[in-house]
Amino acid sequence: MPDAVALDDRRTSHVALRELVVERVRNLDHLELEPAPGLNLIAGDNGQGKTSILEAIYLVATSRSFRTSRLAEVVAHGASVASVRAAVVELDGAAAADTPPGYVRHQSLGLDGARRVLRLDGEPPVSLAHYATRTPVVVFHPAELELSTGAPAARRELLDRVSLFQAPETSRHRAAYARALRSRRELLRLGSGARELEAFEAVLAEHGAALCRRRARACEALALEATAAFARLAPPELALGVRYEPGGSPDPELARAELARGRARDAGRPSPRFGPHHDDLGLTLDGRPARRVASQGQHRALTMALKLAERACIAAARGLEPILLLDDVSSELDRERSTALFALLGAGLGQVFVTTARPDLLADLPTGTSFRSFRVARGALVPAGG
Amino acid sequence: MLPDKLQALVRLLARLPGVGDKTAQRYALFLCTADPAIARELGLALAGLEAEVGPCTRCGHVADRSAAGGLCAICADPRRDGSVLCVVGRVQDLLSIERSAAYRGRYFVLGRLLAPLEGIRAEDLPLERLKALLRDPARPVTEVLLATPPSVDGEATALLLAEELRPLGARVTRLASGVPHGGDLEFADPVTIGRAIAHRRGVE
Repeated sequence: MPDAVALDDRRTSHVALRELVVERVRNLDHLELEPAPGLNLIAGDNGQGKTSILEAIYLVATSRSFRTSRLAEVVAHGASVASVRAAVVELDGAAAADTPPGYVRHQSLGLDGARRVLRLDGEPPVSLAHYATRTPVVVFHPAELELSTGAPAARRELLDRVSLFQAPETSRHRAAYARALRSRRELLRLGSGARELEAFEAVLAEHGAALCRRRARACEALALEATAAFARLAPPELALGVRYEPGGSPDPELARAELARGRARDAGRPSPRFGPHHDDLGLTLDGRPARRVASQGQHRALTMALKLAERACIAAARGLEPILLLDDVSSELDRERSTALFALLGAGLGQVFVTTARPDLLADLPTGTSFRSFRVARGALVPAGG
Repeated sequence: MLPDKLQALVRLLARLPGVGDKTAQRYALFLCTADPAIARELGLALAGLEAEVGPCTRCGHVADRSAAGGLCAICADPRRDGSVLCVVGRVQDLLSIERSAAYRGRYFVLGRLLAPLEGIRAEDLPLERLKALLRDPARPVTEVLLATPPSVDGEATALLLAEELRPLGARVTRLASGVPHGGDLEFADPVTIGRAIAHRRGVE
């Protein structure tokens, strides 16, 4: 294997789960996991609960699910409450992996229907953004091919996930922007006079411009990392271009004027034509729109490059390598690319969880890689070798 | 399961802010099982509330109805600086500012914020009463401090008020926000830190 670094030879600081306890999440009734600080393989047939384990890790780390925006769906059928608890350590690159030094943080998420209760070392967190940035995590699951082939919403989410770590107030601007947007729509619907519209448009323009500036910054960092990662995953003669395509403006005065001008046009529309809710991340291959020219394999490599870039950007902003969750990777990448991926995985990464229905994938791991493996069947762990 | 009278009480208590069904039930059971004097005194206090306490006729703060001119303790206090008027959304916000002891002017309580999503419009705000206060030549106001909360509705309300009040001549200012005293910067909310940096001052 070329330039693959053994996983134990870690240099950067990273964050790792040391213990995970899941209660009544989807089909996981009760599950306890003690993962390795490096690579963890979760094997099992389809529908047994592999993805739910990754979802539980994502839930306790971010307070959100990557599978649904309706948290009530996460609670096991027939149960009213669910919870995930985790003990998390921040490991120094120089320290031995088996004797993790330093402080253990306890995080927990409880779900009572759709209501969520978060605790950081037993205390309610000062804000959602504070909680969601303690334990950085990046997930890659099959539906994320959307990033390269689908609608702009998934790419805006990517920009905002990076922004959250670069500038945590991004989430507040986003929530305020959404409320101001709905308020303006209501005022237009009611045929309101100019003074109220001006007040809400000023608030809308302020938060929209703040969002725009933060996304531009996130894109700049993502573009740099994604083009480098793509060069390693795809044929070297193909150049990836990543560009922020703003739907609004970073200048609040300009945005205000634009909104005032668009009132007649926006009345009766679900949302104004101008604003960061139309933002996109433009992806090109040799200068041509990737959505139109990329082959299926190139889309996969592009998505993987974006995810690796997300990981690198978050690591740079947070000063900690995030936990990487790779769901069912074998189904998305052909053998050649999964080999390239595993070589990348070996390059100084932190903790990684990989689920697969194909344990033969292990053959692609660089020789000498240490890992812990788990096997899941009908929502529970079963003894596995490794 | 519970007598009708008690269930009616539970339903009433559950209408209080922050009180859910379980808490309401706990309160109701406490009132009917503990010292009956508590329930009696509470009942008397509640029965007389509307007749005895109402909004201050000038600023909207709560006032003793029997007070001279129906004024609250702040409006009636001659030591207060009448040239500055602080506009707040709710009485609770007024009390928070009072606790700081950093402000010696008078107040105006809006009672609500613009919130088109909840059906609250500009005509629902007590704008005319506020303007009348500013036009009163007997009590000139030179500064209006807008202290609505830093939310979408609070910011929009402040912007609307600023536009409406500026032609009346008084200087219009907005509450600055900063880092909580004694707080650890690491745990301060990022919006607060952002504003504190945006409105930073030189060190004298």
